[in-house]
Amino acid sequence: MSTTDVLTVEGLRISFGAVQAVRGIDFTVGEGEILALVGESGSGKSVTARAVLGLLPGKASVSGSARLGDQELVGADEEGLRQVRGRQVAMVFQEPATALNPVHTVGWQIAAVLRAHQPLSKAQALKEAVRLLDLVGIPDPGTRVGYYPHQLSGGQKQRVVIALALANSPRLIIADEPTTALDVTVQAEILDLLRDLRDRLGTAILLITHNMGVVADLADRVAVMHQGTLVEQAPVEDLFARPTRAYTRELLAAVPRLGHRAPAAVPAAELALELNQVVVRYKDFVAVDGVDLRVGQGEVVGLVGESGSGKSTLGKVAAGLLRPSSGTATVLGGDPATARRHIGFVFQDPGGSLNPRMSIEDCVGEPLRVHKVARGADYRARVAALLESVRLPAAYAGRRPRELSGGQRQRVGIARALALGPSLLIADEPTSALDVSVQATVLELLTGLQRELGFACLFISHDLAVVDSLAHRVSVLHRGRVVEEGPHHEVLRTPAADYTRRLVAAVPVPDPVEQRVRREGQVAPVG
Amino acid sequence: MTATLETPEPVEVAVPDRPRTFLRGKGLVGLVLVGLVIFAGLLGPLLVSWDPYEQIPGANLLGPTAGHPLGTDDLNRDILARLLTGIRVDVLIAFTAVPIGALVGCAVGALATVNNVLDVAVQRLFDVLLAFPQLILAIGLAAVIGPGTTSVVIVIVCVEIPVFGRLLRAAVLRVREAQFVTASEVIGAGKAHVLRHHVLPNSLEPILVQLALSLSVAVFIEGAMSVLGIGVSPPHPSIGSVLTTSLRYLDLNPLFAIGPLAVTAVLVLGFQLIAQAANAARGA
Repeated sequence: MSTTDVLTVEGLRISFGAVQAVRGIDFTVGEGEILALVGESGSGKSVTARAVLGLLPGKASVSGSARLGDQELVGADEEGLRQVRGRQVAMVFQEPATALNPVHTVGWQIAAVLRAHQPLSKAQALKEAVRLLDLVGIPDPGTRVGYYPHQLSGGQKQRVVIALALANSPRLIIADEPTTALDVTVQAEILDLLRDLRDRLGTAILLITHNMGVVADLADRVAVMHQGTLVEQAPVEDLFARPTRAYTRELLAAVPRLGHRAPAAVPAAELALELNQVVVRYKDFVAVDGVDLRVGQGEVVGLVGESGSGKSTLGKVAAGLLRPSSGTATVLGGDPATARRHIGFVFQDPGGSLNPRMSIEDCVGEPLRVHKVARGADYRARVAALLESVRLPAAYAGRRPRELSGGQRQRVGIARALALGPSLLIADEPTSALDVSVQATVLELLTGLQRELGFACLFISHDLAVVDSLAHRVSVLHRGRVVEEGPHHEVLRTPAADYTRRLVAAVPVPDPVEQRVRREGQVAPVG
Repeated sequence: MTATLETPEPVEVAVPDRPRTFLRGKGLVGLVLVGLVIFAGLLGPLLVSWDPYEQIPGANLLGPTAGHPLGTDDLNRDILARLLTGIRVDVLIAFTAVPIGALVGCAVGALATVNNVLDVAVQRLFDVLLAFPQLILAIGLAAVIGPGTTSVVIVIVCVEIPVFGRLLRAAVLRVREAQFVTASEVIGAGKAHVLRHHVLPNSLEPILVQLALSLSVAVFIEGAMSVLGIGVSPPHPSIGSVLTTSLRYLDLNPLFAIGPLAVTAVLVLGFQLIAQAANAARGA
């Protein structure tokens, strides 16, 4: 790494009214260096990046200093910032679908960015756009330059966004959660691309992420943020091997890892859920294509797959919310719709699945009221017991969902799912909306409750490490079909199917040393 | 997963205080304006000694005097007394017709979301009602049922039904897709339970805003119908009828028109401000 710094941030403070989002942080990004800024939601990492580009709303007050080379960016006027944006610092956003304008071709959009900063003719700009698309690995760039964003896949869109960022050869790229919205195999491609661009062009990258696997894969140095302060800053190998601060240690310990749990199996006596040759069609589109799935009593089955693989659709079929076009779904020997009393469902979005106008007590106790199981003092006592079982204070009963944090809301969701003592719990991505440390506690809670109460569980997730941490058996879903099925330690550690192998290989390991070995061991990138 | 992470979540979450919308700013101004007018209407008989129907001998089209602060009209009646009584009539019309229209509209709108065929039928009916400009509808209805207070109420109800129907339908369709509705269905809750506990309570916010807005529209419709001669029939006073009379004698006594105009303006402005404040309170 070069010793010259592209970006120097000193004593940066950002506050929104009385709320201090960033409380005086210092860091530098050297030439050709990838610095990862990690932290949980609300730690101030995205705000920091936006402050550097002057993209914060007017009510934010920023003090301290952020220098790009010799140029001060904090307090710079709009014209000065305009010269910097795109030309010297470019940004890659989280959601490629919304970062691109849907009514213009990608070539037009790249050309517009080029012509904003360089005296190029339209034809020259378009030619340069083709070169850039080629640079970011879009096949047949000469044709694709005339494509609209909707004609490209999610991964290709993110490549276009990166091409946009590269258009004026910036010295620094700020990538704000560049792979969070992408599937794991696509994520691996984008990470490869970013690393390759850094190696070829020497562009410095400020990477903002919450994913420790991504950090281990890509970063040279890591800065850990927590509640607006920089907790620790170190080269990536040192940070993962010898974290010096307690918070960093906790954060790393909370990251679920593949293959760190002993094999576990339950003797399946009776079946809680049985799906037989289930097919689900939406008009001409086949979402689920002949899936067989069995969940025994007291067994946790993980259902993994990428977006669009049909895993959530299967969850709905199992809960009786959706009728399969053909095939049968059986819960406890009967129809799912009639067995609702014995099914609990935990949703992905803990905020959206709770009625904002109901108290926590009413949210948790709704199943009791619907099935007229308990009322009066008995009802309140049972709700209190449920809240206690998910380790929420009984005093929360009178609160509204908005008065709780994300993790606490998900506990409420779990308490509601367990209210009637279900035999089958269906959890659809229950932790993917949560921060990593919160995710760890929710998973721990679910595992503990499952051991204690012995319900069967269909655990749907895209995160292989999460599934590996609690499932007995795993089914891998790809384009509506089960490609592999078996005990968790076999499927996720020694996968037999080609697709599963690619999936497992694409998951970045939260260990930089191991990740480098894996990367160099791969002959061809995943794709 | 380690034991050190037992309590990583903050126990307290910062909850934004509900803005006290009606205790300051637009909301307060709106409430004060509407309150002043209604107060004046209720206390009218105590404030003015004249009878609104009494024809005072020798007091034809007087200008403002100490005895008649707004003067007298062509039939020798005290304008202030008629205006204050007119406020009562207007407020009564608005507060009867708008809630009836809202109730019927909401009921029809909610019912329409249950069945697709019904939905299409109701939507086209609403289209027909909305296609008529309000005053054309008023003239048409008055031609059938005759002018008078009742027809003013009926016109306002007819104008408001599609407005509230559309609004509730849209809100219900939006809320019905919310995940907490699915969550309730998974539990095994019936349609009625979902509608009563989840969908309707979360759909009512825009209705409350529209209520305030519609009250101002009602005051406006009453005035317009009176001006067209199909409103509250003489000799009964209303804000609109006082205004209509005043327009004929604008050259003799310009101050005649100021009273009803000011009251109309204050009422409409007040209701609009309340609606804006209510809308801001729901974060829209």
